[in-house]
Amino acid sequence: MRAVAGIGLRAPHLAEVAHDRPATGFLEVHAENYLTGSPALRTVERARADYEFSLHAVGLSLGSVEGIDDTHLERVAALAERLAPALISDHLAWSASGGRYFNDLLPLPYSEEALDVVVRNVQRLQDRLKRQVLVENPSCYLGFAQSTLSEPAFLGELVRRSGCGLLLDVNNIVVTAHNLGLDPAAWLADLPASAIGEYHLAGHAVNDADGAPILIDDHGSRVSGEVWSLFDAVLDRYGPRPTLVEWDTDIPALGILLEEAARADHALEVRAGADARAA
Amino acid sequence: MLGLRDLQAAFAGMVKGEDQPRLEAAVVGDAIPAAARLRVYRHHVEQSLVAALAATFSAVQAIVGEDFFRAMARCYVAGDLPRQPVLAEYGAGFPAFVAGYEPSASLPYLADVARLDWALNLAFHSPAANHLTVADLSSLPAERVAELPLALAPGAAVLHSSYPIDRIWQVSQPGAADETVDLGAGGVNLLVLRREDDAAFVRVSDAEGAFLSAAGRGETLEEAAEVGFRTDGAFDLSTTFTRLLALKAIAATQHHFAERVEKAP
Repeated sequence: MRAVAGIGLRAPHLAEVAHDRPATGFLEVHAENYLTGSPALRTVERARADYEFSLHAVGLSLGSVEGIDDTHLERVAALAERLAPALISDHLAWSASGGRYFNDLLPLPYSEEALDVVVRNVQRLQDRLKRQVLVENPSCYLGFAQSTLSEPAFLGELVRRSGCGLLLDVNNIVVTAHNLGLDPAAWLADLPASAIGEYHLAGHAVNDADGAPILIDDHGSRVSGEVWSLFDAVLDRYGPRPTLVEWDTDIPALGILLEEAARADHALEVRAGADARAA
Repeated sequence: MLGLRDLQAAFAGMVKGEDQPRLEAAVVGDAIPAAARLRVYRHHVEQSLVAALAATFSAVQAIVGEDFFRAMARCYVAGDLPRQPVLAEYGAGFPAFVAGYEPSASLPYLADVARLDWALNLAFHSPAANHLTVADLSSLPAERVAELPLALAPGAAVLHSSYPIDRIWQVSQPGAADETVDLGAGGVNLLVLRREDDAAFVRVSDAEGAFLSAAGRGETLEEAAEVGFRTDGAFDLSTTFTRLLALKAIAATQHHFAERVEKAP
């Protein structure tokens, strides 16, 4: 897929996108929203004639010590077969335990034990889909005392051992760094560049946690200035990639989402132009 | 130190509202205490699942209002977390929960509205499938038609309520005229259906409802017709069956047809 900006396709925009076919680099859909027989799947399938797709799962629970749920894996695999997306991704997180699903990206300790679990689950996913998947850095609201690896080091090892790629969510880096008192620039310093297959951009909220500000990854506003700045730093460090703008709560008019994507496109073009001049 | 299995089990317990001191001790706290950090996750799990229920049970929420609905849904979520990640399939137990929810006892029709919301949700998410047509039937000898085991089309369901829940549902929709519904107007039988782009319901008579329920149990056309007659001596099989075929309510999944389709040129 070319290094252009796309948008997360959400239910309120489905009819408009299907009808107007607005120009955008690609569409990303959440796998879990298209696993039933609803008419929405048919709409998305028709849109494949006009757009490249990225399939973003949120429920495979790659960090579950109990492994990936067989039924869910089969459903996602069947959808991947139907949509034949350019990219498939999920998160460095877990969301299921004891047969219950929590609908959240819950945090992992970054330990050797957790690394073994995630490597095993990612390998199983890739074996089933017969392709590489991208694993996204999550937004974290806590760290575990038992962690022995930093998050980027954990991701680097995961890439090395499983052969997966990375989806770098720039907003999540800002959120995690703020919440855990880390330096975003240092977080970025040492990732396996060739494994990075996609970037995500989104807005976050600032909440109060017992009197201290905590950033919440709510995808409910425009991309913040800090995230745009870090995105420029990411582009300087790792170069252009397909870049997605996500908006999931208080979803605005489609035009506003497209504006944000256009801004990301501009940053990608500036970077590509600078690279071309340098070459 | 908690192993990953114990840590995830403890985290799951915390999300359900249990005290998990070993988990709290495993979390790094600073200006933001460990407990407050864990609370961010617990709130998100709860809020996102309440929002999923609000999307599925939109008529229930419209009737009781957002605050009441959220309080009710929070109680449900705490006792019945999803078993899989597709949120459109979460909430099967919510209508029964509503039926036993003491604070809404003054709204005796509410659980039936929840059942209608759920049936519409199931219909919307059911797969598109072939339905039985008049042409299918006309190609069969009459005695085969009578023996035909029936099935409802995917997503089709019959609901009975002692309240006019179709009217209640309609006036709870966004943009509906500000009308009052006479709760004493009597009960209804509703046939819920998947349509091309949405899900919908129509009123059916008691006999039609009985016929459809028999069809849903896989009874033959003859047996289902008998159930209809027993319910109402004036039951008109021909009119009912024609109507149901036009509504695409009956599935074309019988092996009778499989045979015929295979033989077709």
